[in-house]
Amino acid sequence: MSAMRQALAIPVLLFAVGACSGNSRDRADNAGGTLVISVGGDPESLLPPLSSTVPSKIIGDLVYDRLAEIGDSMNTVGDAGFRPRLAKSWTWANDSMSIAFHLDSSARWHDGVPVRSGDVRFTYHLYSDSTTGSPFAASIASIDSVTTPDSVTAAFWFHARSPMQFYDAVNTMSILPAHALEGVRGTALRTSAIARAPIGTGRFRFVRWSAGQSIQLAADTTNYRGRPGLDRVIMTIAPDFNAALTRVLGGEADMLEQVPATSLAELARDTSLRAELTPGLDYNFIQFNLRDPKRRSRPHSLFGDRELRRALTRALDRRRIVQNAYDSLASVAIGPTVRAYPTTDTTLRQLPFSPDAARKTLDSLGWKDSDGDGVRDRSGTKLKFNLAVPGSSKARNTMAVLAQEQLRQIGVKVNIEQLDFAAFIDRETRRDFDAVVGGWHVEASPGGIRQTWGTPGSRATSGSNYGSYENPAFDAQVDSALSAGSFGSRRAHFTSAYQAIIDDAPAIWLAEPKRIVAVHKRIVMTGLRPDAWWANIAEWTIPADKRIARDHAAPAR
Amino acid sequence: MGVFLARRIAQGLVVVGLVATIVFLLIHAAPGDPFSASMDNPSISDAVRASWRRAYGLDRPLTEQYARYVVSVFRGDLGFSFSLQRPVVSALGDALPNTLLLMAAGLIGGFAAGVGAAVTQVRRRGGAADRILGGLSLTFFSVPDFWLALIILVAFAYWIPIFPIGGAADPVMYDMLGTGARLLDRLEHLVLPALTLTLLYFPLIARHQRAALLDAIPSDYVTTARAKGVPESAVINRHVLRNALLPVITLLGVAFPALLTGAVFVEKVFSWPGMGLLIVNAIQSRDYPLLVASVILASVFVVIGSIIADVLYRWLDPRMRDEL
Repeated sequence: MSAMRQALAIPVLLFAVGACSGNSRDRADNAGGTLVISVGGDPESLLPPLSSTVPSKIIGDLVYDRLAEIGDSMNTVGDAGFRPRLAKSWTWANDSMSIAFHLDSSARWHDGVPVRSGDVRFTYHLYSDSTTGSPFAASIASIDSVTTPDSVTAAFWFHARSPMQFYDAVNTMSILPAHALEGVRGTALRTSAIARAPIGTGRFRFVRWSAGQSIQLAADTTNYRGRPGLDRVIMTIAPDFNAALTRVLGGEADMLEQVPATSLAELARDTSLRAELTPGLDYNFIQFNLRDPKRRSRPHSLFGDRELRRALTRALDRRRIVQNAYDSLASVAIGPTVRAYPTTDTTLRQLPFSPDAARKTLDSLGWKDSDGDGVRDRSGTKLKFNLAVPGSSKARNTMAVLAQEQLRQIGVKVNIEQLDFAAFIDRETRRDFDAVVGGWHVEASPGGIRQTWGTPGSRATSGSNYGSYENPAFDAQVDSALSAGSFGSRRAHFTSAYQAIIDDAPAIWLAEPKRIVAVHKRIVMTGLRPDAWWANIAEWTIPADKRIARDHAAPAR
Repeated sequence: MGVFLARRIAQGLVVVGLVATIVFLLIHAAPGDPFSASMDNPSISDAVRASWRRAYGLDRPLTEQYARYVVSVFRGDLGFSFSLQRPVVSALGDALPNTLLLMAAGLIGGFAAGVGAAVTQVRRRGGAADRILGGLSLTFFSVPDFWLALIILVAFAYWIPIFPIGGAADPVMYDMLGTGARLLDRLEHLVLPALTLTLLYFPLIARHQRAALLDAIPSDYVTTARAKGVPESAVINRHVLRNALLPVITLLGVAFPALLTGAVFVEKVFSWPGMGLLIVNAIQSRDYPLLVASVILASVFVVIGSIIADVLYRWLDPRMRDEL
């Protein structure tokens, strides 16, 4: 801050201190301070049914509430571990076909209107209405209807009993104010005032969105769940990563939520910052296309062969590849899952690294280097394929190059195709590829695996199983896992499913990156949840003796 | 002059129409569409994507989409941004003033620095100042926009931390400042991006201006002025410079695209919320309406710049008026 700015700040600070003197109780509670988070772009909308980018989700989760919130254990079966939010309690029907949520009667919207069960029913209808076009509609398809026995009770009725009923009811929907959205439907929702200036019940209230610059939230000091530990949360927009990092290192922002491993050393040199490493919900892999991209009725000329896929998997030193791409900031992926799921068995049997075994397998399959050019061939066909990778991901590019080199050593030629992200997705979804370096960011529940690796995801035109892996045994284990009522049974079925797919090798699982968050040391955090690191921001604090000028600048509310 | 202006405006409209059409066709021909990114999310069903495409008319044939777009543009409606979820006019309305401010600062700074450097070089031709300024001009002419912006960002973040390094206003303090302090805050945030654009633009002016000055010096009127005993500084500033400004004035026409291109990178690095950022995001997200509207706006600026250059040229050089 320049000298002139500091001079100007003094009266502001004096004013702020004076204004805050009446809030001695708040000060005694040690609440206060401003958290400035650097994010990569503007949210597309602040209406939760229509927004899916990270900045939108952060704002949505701080301004709005769900009925209950998933706990740190990340359990998604039944209601164990879930924390009350707008619903202070809930009652299961004897036949488990419905759950009655009892709302906190003291909850108020930020415009002062009381929260009622009609808001919950309205929210369900809005999310599920096809004219809304919400990407989350499919996530609440198991809910049949929502009724309102009284003004503070909302009952969810389900089509069928399932272990995921509670999760389905509470995890997707942020409860919206019916009085502010009544009569607004379809495309009009996108242009509604509330899509840019949300009215929620969360512990932070929306203040201002300056497009392309910043979004400001302030503590809701009279919130039914209590005042948050911070006065303000400000998200500043820095689209260029280097600029974002510089802003954090330069002290203009307190936090950067996704720091690549390559920048960690730079971060470590700044003594005012610390890096928080948390488990992530991402994993990446080399995915083989098991069907011929030109004629999908027949298998891929190379990858239709299970033994060949297993040989390629054994030829890669995945540990070395991951270390080179991420240093110690990622684990070797263990399959189509992440370690953050309590249902993941981390001792799954892997295909071990053994180039010699890979060579022997390829020899036995008839793939030999008959012309001495270093590339194996069979019946005049070279053992070569294209590997598509999105140019935007440095880590995925590094891993592609290392895999290319390791496969070259066993006589396999790999042509790397670096594509613009939209072109990459286009090729992937049209299934017009030999192999891709893909990646999935998974939800809090492992249920999405049906779409990404199961037969339903392979056969549906909109399915995300781009490699067309199909194995009835895998599907059956996944279905059993998702319908299992006990945690132990669920875990056992998932373990069998993962083992089946690892043995079939429709992909080479590469890395499971950790999330690296850079944050100023004066910020006291209370844990970063893998699926939403921002989930506990309302509990974060800045000790009074560590506050800097901008922490004192927050207006008293 | 009226006929001249009408003809130039008509030509400009044709150019803008052509540019808009080409961009419209090219962006639609590129792989992927505005909802490609959602393909990465397995929980979004095909039906939802289809409903989005239907809602925005993307399921219609390209010719129909184009015809609808042209009609809506003539009605003053530039469409709805898919990525920003707001009308394009509103998004441009937020971004355009910021970019104009930045470009104006870069243009004025670049012009002043370029002309100043060229005059100094000519007055001290062959000397150390000439060589140093020539070297600096060549250096800044050669460096990539993005790299220079990053160097300035790093320099002012760590070594000379006197100016804010990002955004158009202080996100924390701005609301609590008075009018004067807010103006100062905006100016402080403008310094680094404007400085970067100035450094990128000044070599273009300096090199053209120096060459034009050297061309003008052997002219008869210069010899006459010197023979009359006019001091050398007055010869350069009053006689040579006025005539040598003509070729540089024409650079105004090309300054807009050059500045806009530079602004794209500068805005990204300094998080300046202007048109450059909109264009980059629109390309990345295949946001057809936003991209086409941004390009239309940019080409309108290029046309306006070139008309202004023509008018200035004719104003400064009476011979040009006789040619019509």
